[in-house]
Amino acid sequence: MNEVFFNVDAGYLEGIVRGYRDGLITAPQYLNLTQCETMDDLKLQLATTDYASFLQNEPSPLATSTLSARCTEALVAEFQYMQQNAAEPISKFLDYITYGYMIDNVILLITGTLHERDTHDLLEKCHPLGFFDTMPALCVATTVQDLYSTVLVDSPLAGYFRECLSAEDLNELNIEIIRNTLYKAYLEDFYSYCQTLGEPTASVMAELLNFEADRRTVNITINSFGTELSKDERAKLYPRLGNMYPEAQTKLARVDDMDQVKAILEQYSEYKSMLIGVSMNVSSSSSGGNNAELSLEDRFFAREVQLNKDSFEQQFHFGVFYSWLRLKEQEIRNIVWIAECISQQQKDKINNYTAIY
Amino acid sequence: MAAVRDNVFPTRMNLTVTKARLKGAQTGHSLLKRKSEALTTRFRVIVRKIEDAKLKMGKVMQNASFSLAEVAYITGDISYQVRESAKRATFKVSAKQENVSGVLLPAFEPDMQAGSQFELTGLGRGGQQIQKARAVYIKAVETLVELASLQTAFVILDEVIKLTNRRVNAIEYVIIPRIENTISYINSELDEQDREEFYRLKKIQGKKKDRAAAAAAAQNELDELAKLSIQDGNLHSEIGLSEDQSAARNILAEQVDEDIIF
Repeated sequence: MNEVFFNVDAGYLEGIVRGYRDGLITAPQYLNLTQCETMDDLKLQLATTDYASFLQNEPSPLATSTLSARCTEALVAEFQYMQQNAAEPISKFLDYITYGYMIDNVILLITGTLHERDTHDLLEKCHPLGFFDTMPALCVATTVQDLYSTVLVDSPLAGYFRECLSAEDLNELNIEIIRNTLYKAYLEDFYSYCQTLGEPTASVMAELLNFEADRRTVNITINSFGTELSKDERAKLYPRLGNMYPEAQTKLARVDDMDQVKAILEQYSEYKSMLIGVSMNVSSSSSGGNNAELSLEDRFFAREVQLNKDSFEQQFHFGVFYSWLRLKEQEIRNIVWIAECISQQQKDKINNYTAIY
Repeated sequence: MAAVRDNVFPTRMNLTVTKARLKGAQTGHSLLKRKSEALTTRFRVIVRKIEDAKLKMGKVMQNASFSLAEVAYITGDISYQVRESAKRATFKVSAKQENVSGVLLPAFEPDMQAGSQFELTGLGRGGQQIQKARAVYIKAVETLVELASLQTAFVILDEVIKLTNRRVNAIEYVIIPRIENTISYINSELDEQDREEFYRLKKIQGKKKDRAAAAAAAQNELDELAKLSIQDGNLHSEIGLSEDQSAARNILAEQVDEDIIF
């Protein structure tokens, strides 16, 4: 029955988002971009894309940071247009998408507060998608305790804070651990929310979020090698969902090196293919094979793009909004990567981006 | 130039002193020359090293900024997190001094401290790339420190070499010729004095001779006169005087004679 009434509320937005999807840069366009010799050429090529209006007023020596900022602006403008036109279940869903950015912003502000920085400067650095009404009020708070009791309680993130952190934790724990704990709570919450939305959305989002959870699990494992993070703490940061939950996660919590991670990942067919040809050793890839060798991170990106593309194959679900945002983010990363390669004259690595269409 | 000399009084004493100075200047010259050669050798080595380090730096810096671009691709902007989580410096530069032929050259040494404060940055995504970028940047900073130490040595050595060469040239072309001029001046003056003295002595001797000759001539005249008077006496005695008178006269004549000869 879902499909029958889907278009009543979501038809317009779905049309919009599919239109946006067609605006994504395609392979021939990427080919043109990679052929550029200077940043001006690149700007000219981008004039045929959706970014044109955001770049046209930029003065000529275009810095990659400006490019990245403008592209993000374009993304935000499109997303906010959808948010403004959204009705109930979709607006809630879109809000959920922004919570991830909110976490980053709040963490940024907490870091600033802990180091007694001027929080007004920090607001400019915040991701616009993660902006919430009470966020400027964070600047008023001077201690972390204040921050929580006056501002965060009213924000959508309050639940995540309440569940996993006490006020003392905010002072003592490493800020990265807080970030990952919050993100874990957010993923779990988002997942359970998606399950309430009924069928096509639930299954499509389940797949995407499971992948996201798995990726985080693997990354946290790999990145915590040789750090002060204990294995128990590591296990606490794994999101309690994903294809690898719980069996492989308990194993990953105990591993000490890449080879063991590899052995565990090989039990999963979808990740086994990813591991072929991936150099698991960071140091060897930095010294020896500097060529087109892809890192595990790149494989994850490719896989993410694939999954997000797949979600467009189905209709009558909200997953397309999430997928579109992820694809668009990947596209911005690609453009910035190409711009960096051009401005730093490292043309041999220019093709290391993850093409979308 | 050739006429320049020290304003000294031309005496034998000053000649000895000036000769000692010449000796000192020559020793100093050869020492300074050797110092300047040693410094120049060192300088060449440093110039070569600087060239290598600069080429290396270009490559390393390119690598480093590219690895940062990789981090940006995967993680996004991490600069703020990294800045805030850095509490103490892990990379310090200590300066020590190196002695090259009496010149103190500062040498900078990187001093790494183990551990990093932001090892958890990018835990959820891109941590490996961040650590890699960190390693690459540490290498870049090491190269920069090396280059800084070489450049400082380069500047200082350059200065010192110029100074030393100036001194060498000053000694070679100004001081030594001046001392030599002084010596030859003193020598010529002394010779002149010698000649004058010699002439003076000759002159005195000549005068003395003249005077002696004049005296001798006067004596002869007296003798002649005496002889003449004796002959007169003889004539008188022949005319009419006694023997005693003539004998007494004779003795007197003899006495006069002796006196005059003296």
